[in-house]
Amino acid sequence: MTRLICPFCGPRELREFEFHKTLPAAPGSAFSRTYERVDRHEHSVEHWQHVEGCRGWLLVHRNPTTGEVLETRLLGGAAAGGAP
Amino acid sequence: MSGNVRSGTRIGPGSIRFSYDGREYSGQPGDTAASALLAQGVRFFGRSVKYRRLRGVLAAGPEEPNALLTVGEHPAVIPNMPAPQLAVREGLKLRSQNRWPTLERDVASLLQAGGGFFGAGFYYKTFMWPSWRAYEPIIRRLAGLGEAPGACDLPPIAVEHLSCDVLVAGAGAAGLAAARASARAGARVVLCEREPACGGELEFEGARIEGRDAPRWVAATLAELAARGVRLLTETALVGGSGGQLVLHSEPGGLPGASVLYRVRPRCFVIAMGAVERPIALVDNDRPGVMLLGAAERFLARYGVSVGRDLVLFANHDRVYAAATRLAAGGMRVRAIVDTRTDAQSDINGAGAASLRAELARRGTLCLAGHAVIAAEGRREVRAVRVAPLAGAGPVRKIACDALLYSGGWSPSVSAGLQEGGAREYSSGLGAFLAQAQPQWRILCGAANGHLELGDVLADGRAAGERAARHAGQSAGTAVEAQGRDEARGEARGETHGDGAPRLVAFWRSPAPRKAEKRQFVDLQNDVTVADLRAALAEGFVDIEHVKRYTTLGIGTEQGATSSVLGAAILADLKGEALDQVGTFRSRAPYRPVALNSLAGLRIGPAYRIARRTPLDGWHTANGAVLESSGLWMRPRFYRSNGDDAFAAGVAEAGRVRASGGIADGSTLGKIEIAGPDAAGFLDSMYLTKAGTIKVGRGKYMVNLREDGMVLDDGLVLRLAPDRFVATVSSGHALHMLSHFEHYRDTEWGGRAVTLTDVTEAWGVIAVAGPRSRSALASVLGPDWRGSLESLGHMDFADGKFAGRDLRLLRASFSGELAYELHCRPGIAVPLWQALIAAGLAPYGLEALDILRVEKGYLVSSEINGETTPYDLNMDGLLKLGNPCLGRELLDRPAFHEPSRPRLVGVRARDGRAKFLAGAQLTTEDESRHAAGYVTSAVYSPALGEWVGLALLARRLDEHAQITARDPLRGGDTPLRIVSPVHFDPAGERMKS
Repeated sequence: MTRLICPFCGPRELREFEFHKTLPAAPGSAFSRTYERVDRHEHSVEHWQHVEGCRGWLLVHRNPTTGEVLETRLLGGAAAGGAP
Repeated sequence: MSGNVRSGTRIGPGSIRFSYDGREYSGQPGDTAASALLAQGVRFFGRSVKYRRLRGVLAAGPEEPNALLTVGEHPAVIPNMPAPQLAVREGLKLRSQNRWPTLERDVASLLQAGGGFFGAGFYYKTFMWPSWRAYEPIIRRLAGLGEAPGACDLPPIAVEHLSCDVLVAGAGAAGLAAARASARAGARVVLCEREPACGGELEFEGARIEGRDAPRWVAATLAELAARGVRLLTETALVGGSGGQLVLHSEPGGLPGASVLYRVRPRCFVIAMGAVERPIALVDNDRPGVMLLGAAERFLARYGVSVGRDLVLFANHDRVYAAATRLAAGGMRVRAIVDTRTDAQSDINGAGAASLRAELARRGTLCLAGHAVIAAEGRREVRAVRVAPLAGAGPVRKIACDALLYSGGWSPSVSAGLQEGGAREYSSGLGAFLAQAQPQWRILCGAANGHLELGDVLADGRAAGERAARHAGQSAGTAVEAQGRDEARGEARGETHGDGAPRLVAFWRSPAPRKAEKRQFVDLQNDVTVADLRAALAEGFVDIEHVKRYTTLGIGTEQGATSSVLGAAILADLKGEALDQVGTFRSRAPYRPVALNSLAGLRIGPAYRIARRTPLDGWHTANGAVLESSGLWMRPRFYRSNGDDAFAAGVAEAGRVRASGGIADGSTLGKIEIAGPDAAGFLDSMYLTKAGTIKVGRGKYMVNLREDGMVLDDGLVLRLAPDRFVATVSSGHALHMLSHFEHYRDTEWGGRAVTLTDVTEAWGVIAVAGPRSRSALASVLGPDWRGSLESLGHMDFADGKFAGRDLRLLRASFSGELAYELHCRPGIAVPLWQALIAAGLAPYGLEALDILRVEKGYLVSSEINGETTPYDLNMDGLLKLGNPCLGRELLDRPAFHEPSRPRLVGVRARDGRAKFLAGAQLTTEDESRHAAGYVTSAVYSPALGEWVGLALLARRLDEHAQITARDPLRGGDTPLRIVSPVHFDPAGERMKS
């Protein structure tokens, strides 16, 4: 996987993006959200930022084992929730 | 020989002079070093890496393991270049490798007498007494292949990014058929070929395709591809790639220099990289004169070179007869053909091979079936071979010859099909491995896919090309399809035939007595023999991956191209297992050696790391500033006119600021604008204290936390308008903090109306500090600003103009002196700076800045290091307001109040004089083996005349604790006393004046 499709900018090379974190499967306490390691092998829900582009934050659903990207959504705006 | 002008498919008339091992030779345009030297009777091309045995040319491609030459002269040499790939050019200087003093007389080859002394893993078992270091210097001299260059004068290479529908790697029969089919279906095609000419085996096979001679078909196909806009890259090889991007490397002339690196993004990738011929292990098969059969054919067809006069051919398949016929037609005498298969095995569909055999026998070639060449004889080069029957009794014959050409079959080039998916599968018909289970976007075809007969190769290539075009989404509709069918009908009219099916029967090594196995070479480049494989097994290295590493099988420049399957098969034989159970070792990119210069691309020298420069950078450089890289910013550390080194200059500059005044370049300060109806509420959430309480025209010192409660950064927040703020953050932190703010806004903040903009580079910043700062500013800024200068209190700011451009005057101090910051448009930074200098203020750099701030106990990243909480840093006052901001929840945990948590303190030497440095660990008398903290910052203070510092010390120790700074590596121990972090002017009177 060397490309992500930014909903705003289109398909871009991976190096334009910065990975932030993987979200846990269920919302938990502030403590678990900050410290709990999340290993999701088949379906990972992640926050990435398009730092060298529109600087938008993306919610990315992907399969880390195969590298396949399932879905990409722009975070923010009225529809933002943040929860996976 | 030098009188003859040779002719071949790749060479033209003319003479090019070059030198090899100090002697002059000549070649024709199009020749490679190997072909030109072979043509002039040169037989020796180097010595092997371990045993220093003389070696000749084995192959005609980059898989060549022996003839690796050094190009150029010390120190800018280029080592390990395969001679069959090196184009000759006028004045080229070549040298053989791994020999001393000369190739013919090598002192270290006396080690040959040691024989099995240097078997696999010898370095684990020998050279032990008295200590291996005694042998190290001589081993270093002897080890390795080529000489490492001492200088590199290669030019930077070009990098090109391409995207296309279909990338076809390999322009042999299959690749050309695939590219043509894809192009006809309307796809945009890029075709790459590692050789200078296209066609692969068609160059010499003498085949007919679609009713034409193969070379004419190749030319016609290339013309059609050009007409259809296919981009053809010759002398360009696939070297690696991942995630949908493939990397091609072009090295014209086989030498780094005019290289191009291509990064290609195809929608579909067709691998048509053919198959590599492999040798057979027999005694002394590394002698010069022993060559692969296909290599000899290529040298003849391409360059008109006869590799010998009396040949013996040895193979396990039908192609050997067609090859013999062609070599004989080229003027060489084929003395014997040794076929490992019995007559029954080779005569199954008899007609083709048997009739060739009969014809060859009629012309004096001895044809032996069911036999094997068991040894190549000759002291330095092949003079004869010994041939024995494989079954039953029979005489061992000795046949005189000057070249042994052998072939044990072909291994498809499947490496690129085994990355990112793909599964290796054994094909017993080929005695080799294929890559199956390919993802949709990758297709192997032709010999790479296990097809060896020309008709199958072309059909497979065409099918792959059509499939690739379909996958790439270029189904051009019925019109083109019909055209394709018409042309196919035309094609079918002419016949297509090549050499025919090879009918191969796997054969890996000739029989030999046990003690001769150490001269049956499996990997010529690394001197790995059958005996080494047997030894590895005996020592418990059972897995092929372990055997590879223990014996060094396949780790050279050819990466197992000729040796991996052969080695695996012999290992399987020794283990008594089937070859598909043993498998081969995994191969990885790069598939061919690539110069580091090429991989670096354009990112060398100054382009390696961008330097960010402030608007005043030119002035600093012109006025004796010593700049240092801080993050990516170039900042003045000190000015040479103030002292010879950082320490002296820093002390002088800091002293002058307190005495009269100075100016510093603060443009690197990060600045973020936050605007919108909800800006104040947003900042309330991001900072420890509420931003909403800041009045317009004022600023406040603010701290933000990370989610886990640790202090993240600090800075000033200025309120420009009810819905507009500017937050300053630490230099170099701006983008990180911007991302931090953006993330919070786009997630938990619900994206309510807040805009965030990085304005770091929109404002130059000049800090003006010291007792004379106000008067100097008054004279520089003029009467318009007089009112502001007089009325601005601490943390107030005023916006206005200077020289027609925006200027913001902020009263803030990072030095503890009366101080202001000028935030100006970059265009007026230099005039303002120069005006301030004319008004009598001198510049100071980072070194002085650090002294001033440590004297006042102000914090930087040494204290705000991601491991300290606001409690640790004495920010309790900010916390008692209880603002529920980001990080607040996790800040409230008992662990953050334990006595072992650090606390920020000031430290000074107990004797009032001694020096101590940041990083020194602090211990107490009763616990001298565990640190209770460490010194975070330490400077010599001109204002106090002694060393002062800040430290993080365990909370349980109070200000009476007797602590010592321990610094064994740099200075030794210094007893310290604990003081307030604000060393100078604790009441802050100078700042408020």
